[in-house]
Amino acid sequence: MSALELINVRKRYGAVETLKGIDLSLASGEFLVLLGPSGCGKSTLLNIIAGLAEATDGDVRIGDRSVTGVHPKDRDIAMVFQSYALYPNMSVARNIGFGLEMRNVPAAERTEAVQKAAKILQIENLLGRKPSELSGGQRQRVAIGRALVRDPQIFLFDEPLSNLDAKLRMEMRTELKRLHQMLGTTIVYVTHDQIEAMTLATRIAVMRDGQIEQLATPDEIYNRPATRYVAGFVGSPPMNMLDATVADGIAHIDGSLSGIPLPQALRENAASARDVIIGIRPESLTLASSEDAGLAIEAKVEVVELTGPELVVTSTIGSQRLTASLPPRSQIAVGASQRFNIDPSALHIFDKATGKRV
Amino acid sequence: MTSTWITTRAWLLMLPLLIVMVAIIGWPLVDTVRLSFTDAKLVGTEGSFVGLDNYVKILSGSNFQRTLITTFWFAVLSVSAEMVIGVLAALLLNQQFYGRSILRALMILPWALPTVVNATLWRLIYNPEYGALNAMLMQFGLIDAYRSWLGEPGTALASLIVADCWKNFPLVALIALAALQAVPRDITAASMVDGAGAWSRFRFVIMPYLAGPLMVALVLRTIEAFKVFDIIWVMTRGGPANSTRTLSILVYQEAFSFQRAGSGASLALIVTLLVTVLAVAYAALIRKSAGVS
Repeated sequence: MSALELINVRKRYGAVETLKGIDLSLASGEFLVLLGPSGCGKSTLLNIIAGLAEATDGDVRIGDRSVTGVHPKDRDIAMVFQSYALYPNMSVARNIGFGLEMRNVPAAERTEAVQKAAKILQIENLLGRKPSELSGGQRQRVAIGRALVRDPQIFLFDEPLSNLDAKLRMEMRTELKRLHQMLGTTIVYVTHDQIEAMTLATRIAVMRDGQIEQLATPDEIYNRPATRYVAGFVGSPPMNMLDATVADGIAHIDGSLSGIPLPQALRENAASARDVIIGIRPESLTLASSEDAGLAIEAKVEVVELTGPELVVTSTIGSQRLTASLPPRSQIAVGASQRFNIDPSALHIFDKATGKRV
Repeated sequence: MTSTWITTRAWLLMLPLLIVMVAIIGWPLVDTVRLSFTDAKLVGTEGSFVGLDNYVKILSGSNFQRTLITTFWFAVLSVSAEMVIGVLAALLLNQQFYGRSILRALMILPWALPTVVNATLWRLIYNPEYGALNAMLMQFGLIDAYRSWLGEPGTALASLIVADCWKNFPLVALIALAALQAVPRDITAASMVDGAGAWSRFRFVIMPYLAGPLMVALVLRTIEAFKVFDIIWVMTRGGPANSTRTLSILVYQEAFSFQRAGSGASLALIVTLLVTVLAVAYAALIRKSAGVS
């Protein structure tokens, strides 16, 4: 039995269709991240699952029942909002216990549940405070506590870490991962942050223009992106996308003198697609000396940036840009030509017309 | 530039206004205090000093006490009704529906009308011979014969309260609507997920956002209701049998109808004192509620 099932879910606002038929099935205990840029429909989808918005068409099933038309309170879900959405006039304890209070859970039982959640989230000392007396991270914990205490079938998170600073965001990310491992809950999590998606998810649904572009494990999303869009969206610095033409098993990158012989596996697939995009992750490139044989590409170095753990080298092949992430102590001369080795197993080829993986 | 010069310049710039204020507010106030200790008439006599006589007479007289009670009921009933109707209207106008903007604009109309126009309008509605209220109640079979709503002591005050309510609920609704729009959408969504029904949502989630602004509306409206004059003067002139006579009407009658400037002045000062007490009490309440949130 799926914990959550979406069947052809569509949402239309007037003439604009923001969700174009979403199908998805989530097993119990999964951590699904809906990843995509602003306006791709991920939050709308989450609101439809929560019951805060109605789908124009299609069905949402939680557990073994359809919840279309069912009020949010009766869907057995809990939600954590980007703005935390804590009740400003209530103490932390009452905020956490409010859902139980509304369900007429006896006070003693409620207090016990609140204490338990507070202990898990290490906020026992904050229970008497008002939200205005808390830091952003503490508020976020309270918001999670409010969801936790309800013990719902599904937890929904709407960009819960976006309002935190970078350091706190990392801490809370680890905390969320720990919670999921500890409690084994089913989670649907919306974010536009690919690092959050990669680190937290058991599966990622990359969304674009109201559709799921690819639904797969983080490993697959990163290493076998189904489309050029997914490949470009996940990874930092983003994947290099080079226009090329394939002929006789050799990819000729526009602006480059030499061709790249394709590995046998790709050669067969790419045979039919002459105009292609060659995708190379910046971290798949290494420095090559002039004598090195094998897969290499030559580019003119323009900018070198040391980020600390790596040296990001931006160079050009004709009018195309090539970024490489190298070890921090690599010796690079700005303005000079540089050969980069390519790991053939890390080559991605996309059809230029359709954007799909070849 | 020294701070002394800045202070001096500020006072110099304010001086013309201060002079005007002293002339039109300060001096009459001081003169009213002086008058209140005399038995001066409006015309003819300057009056002589009578000490606290005016105050003693007013406070021990049944006229004043009865009027105070009438004013109290008028203020409590009309303001309570305005608050309830105002908040309900705001909740309604905060919903998404077709024609909402037009309805919002229309709602302000009663409040935007001059009080005299409003009062005249309601006199027509209440008219004992051709009033719309009588016609409607007759057609619904609720009354057997046309009644004089403003002519009977039993119904005059209630009729006035309805008219006052109609005029002033938009102000409360406007303030409440502005406050409602400040309630974050996520908070109401969170309360829905938490299982709060419409009433719980209003009581626990929305009301805390409304409380502060509504307190301001309550203060303003209570003070105004205590000072009410124009709507009553146009509709009933305090009658019938003084059943709708409020403190301001009493002050007017004493000073201008009976031409007793001395006791009129002392009565005016008592009303001023009552309103000041109300204002101070409410200001303290506002500060307290602001401190809490």
